[in-house]
Amino acid sequence: MRKKFVSGVLGILAALILGAVIMLFQGYDPIATYGALFSYSLGGLYPLATTLRNSVPLILTGLSASVAFASGPVNLGQPGQLLIGALFATVGGLYIHLPAVLLIPLLLILAMIGGALWSGIAALLRRLFSMDEFITTLMLNMIADFLTYWAISYPFFDKTSYSPMTPQIDKAAWLPEFGNFNTNILVMVMVFVAVWFIFSRLTAGYEWRLTGQNSIFARLGGCKIDKNYVTVMLLTGALAGLAGGLVVMAGPHRFIKGLGANYAWDGVMIAMVANNDLIGTLLYGLFFSSLQSGALGMELITAVPSEFIQVLQSVIVLVVVAGRGVLDVVLDKSQIKRKARERTA
Amino acid sequence: MDRTTEKQFEVQRLPFMKSIIEMKDIVKVFPPNVVAVDGVTADFRRGEIHAIVGENGAGKSTLMKVLYGLEPKNSGEILFHGQITNFKDPGEAIAAGIGMVHQEILLIQEYTIWENIVLGIEPVGLLGRMNQGEARREVQKKIDEFKFNLNPDDKVAEISVAARQKVEILKLLYRNVEVLILDEPTSVLTPQEIPQLFTELQRLRDNGKTILFISHHLDEVLTLSDRITVMRKGKKIDTVDAKDTNKKDLARMMVGRDVLFLSKREAKKPGPVVFSIDNLTYIDGNQRKRLDHLHLQIRAGEIVGIAGVEGNGQFELVNSIMGLSHPSSGQIQVNGKELTTADILERRKCVSFVSQDRSKMGAAVKASITDNVMMTHHRLNKHFTRWKGMLLDYRYSRQFTHQIEEQFSVSMGSMDNPFQSLSGGNQQKVILGRELLLEAPFLLLDQPTRGLDVGSIEYVHETILKMRSQDRAILLISADLEELFRISDRIVVLSRGKIVADLPTEKATVDQVGYLMLEGENKTIEKEIR
Repeated sequence: MRKKFVSGVLGILAALILGAVIMLFQGYDPIATYGALFSYSLGGLYPLATTLRNSVPLILTGLSASVAFASGPVNLGQPGQLLIGALFATVGGLYIHLPAVLLIPLLLILAMIGGALWSGIAALLRRLFSMDEFITTLMLNMIADFLTYWAISYPFFDKTSYSPMTPQIDKAAWLPEFGNFNTNILVMVMVFVAVWFIFSRLTAGYEWRLTGQNSIFARLGGCKIDKNYVTVMLLTGALAGLAGGLVVMAGPHRFIKGLGANYAWDGVMIAMVANNDLIGTLLYGLFFSSLQSGALGMELITAVPSEFIQVLQSVIVLVVVAGRGVLDVVLDKSQIKRKARERTA
Repeated sequence: MDRTTEKQFEVQRLPFMKSIIEMKDIVKVFPPNVVAVDGVTADFRRGEIHAIVGENGAGKSTLMKVLYGLEPKNSGEILFHGQITNFKDPGEAIAAGIGMVHQEILLIQEYTIWENIVLGIEPVGLLGRMNQGEARREVQKKIDEFKFNLNPDDKVAEISVAARQKVEILKLLYRNVEVLILDEPTSVLTPQEIPQLFTELQRLRDNGKTILFISHHLDEVLTLSDRITVMRKGKKIDTVDAKDTNKKDLARMMVGRDVLFLSKREAKKPGPVVFSIDNLTYIDGNQRKRLDHLHLQIRAGEIVGIAGVEGNGQFELVNSIMGLSHPSSGQIQVNGKELTTADILERRKCVSFVSQDRSKMGAAVKASITDNVMMTHHRLNKHFTRWKGMLLDYRYSRQFTHQIEEQFSVSMGSMDNPFQSLSGGNQQKVILGRELLLEAPFLLLDQPTRGLDVGSIEYVHETILKMRSQDRAILLISADLEELFRISDRIVVLSRGKIVADLPTEKATVDQVGYLMLEGENKTIEKEIR
């Protein structure tokens, strides 16, 4: 655990230094740039609130990917599941009118059902026709993309607008804000704790984890791996769907074109950087969100374009993922040298 | 006084017996901190068969791989013909005259023998085309020179394992090596094939080749070799002349204490039938009968050993019993309970299973030791969970891991460490602990001592015998006849998916069982003799 933390921090520092070198080559001042980046993402209540609020879809889709990858299924359908979840929540918010206490949980559940339905199709195709979810979830992403585009252009189109979007959902379904802080972060934290508990403490989570490590061993040990496969697919779909619902209910309060942005792919990336570790996913999710939130501020006061953040993100992914292996090799080598010297001395 | 005479002797002896290879203070460390070879100094002479013996993990293979250039050494030096050498890869070693035959045979199945042998150094004719006629003639010449019983035009896929091993050796002779390293060459052979290999190795020695021979079967080492180097835990214990030593002394040097070779089985009257298979047949996807109408009964307190060359139905039998594949017909019962089509969890209530491959089936090597120990118990034992089986009780499983640690004398760092941090012997003890504490009436043990050192094997055997005295019914599958004869009550011989014999151990002999194991394979033997 401590080694993981150290290698993560070292990796991020190394990536930031590499980023600084790139900036120097381009003729920018790295210190001023990083200063702007982090003061606009962490320096003060409003930047912090933005960072937290934007981290929610990243962390939830990251959690979805981490749980799936660590349990075996290669669910790469978070983008599609997020969109369908968002659509379900939006449609619910347009036609169901209840007090907020009831409506908000109801729409969150609807969003999860939407996501689970979408991943459930992939699970069903696997069970019935042995189709690999690695392919089907990717293909379902495309279908979700065009299906939601059609839905917001025709059946649920807001006739007063000029571009594809739905009308605003019932005000009761808007997630309340306390000052600058949106309550979507509360939902995320609750869900994170629940998923962490299921994954690390419940019998079901134990079977998922061990199946992810060695499925034939788990099967011989008496785990029902087929049933577990379906459960994991449904759960991870629901998590991505929930991310979509929260995006709608915390943000524009309607489904607009391009709503999913790049959240889900960033989530998958975060899961990879965190090596499918749940706590790691949470921490890296917050960190990547702070980079993305600070990017606009950085662009505002320095000449560095906000796209630079994408470069920085890629460098971090490469350095952290590669660094994990390198650190082990370096530690091993130094140990071997010491041992060999001891023996010959 | 003693020391000076010893030194004089050394000095006198050296000019007569010329060392072809000298290894000095070789150290090899595997990451993170496993010292596989620990300052070994050894010399090998021209024209001798030199055995290197030791338990698994004693460093004998690693020492040879260092010599062969497959593993870089961390310190020390190697002299070949008196010159310091440093092979970077096996290619350099072969070019210099040192070749190695590995345990797994690496040949192209679809090629003929001569094609496999010339592969990589084909005689090239006009326009870079291989001169096939010449290549084949060259190979035939080598076969004649060393009197190998091979037909160069046979496809490798169609010849026996023993013949394939000969092809591997011939491949090196074709490259004119002076030193041949053989890594446990007899482990893939049947008892009948071993003497033949030995005759051939002796002939090679008489032709001036040096043969380094890795083994842990003391009988064969004593019959075959001129000198023997014993290794233990990475260190060289001694090099002795084969004629001046015996099995007991070698075993003591290998293990560091006396080892019993006798069966410790006490007489015992078996109880009622616990496990039975009836008419079990399994036909695979290619319509081949892998299991052919098997009948078998095992009583409480009885160990039944299955002997057979690998690939004669053992795998399918294990899969059918465990529920990984479903038999085409027949029945499997434990204590009268029908298991033929039951799901795996249902089977696990009455079957404990130790698989032959720890990392593939027996454990999740990257998960923690505790997580590995809980498997199956988490479903069958109420103490492991709370909330009607929903929540894991980690405190209980940690206690349970402690219990296994003590009861099965496992040496582990922390139970939160990954399973792979344990040594092979300790991994097997943990798996045995997990499975035996399931307290199932029937134990299925598939090569439970494969890859373990002598000390651990003894421990596993004792544990199995203890289970026998607790009236469990035990099915032991093993490729090691010595093991089967040592602990089983009955020996069942499986050949081509059929049970060809079912003998009480007292009435069976190793030669007889070895012959029966091969009986179904007459075809390949004929081919080899031709």
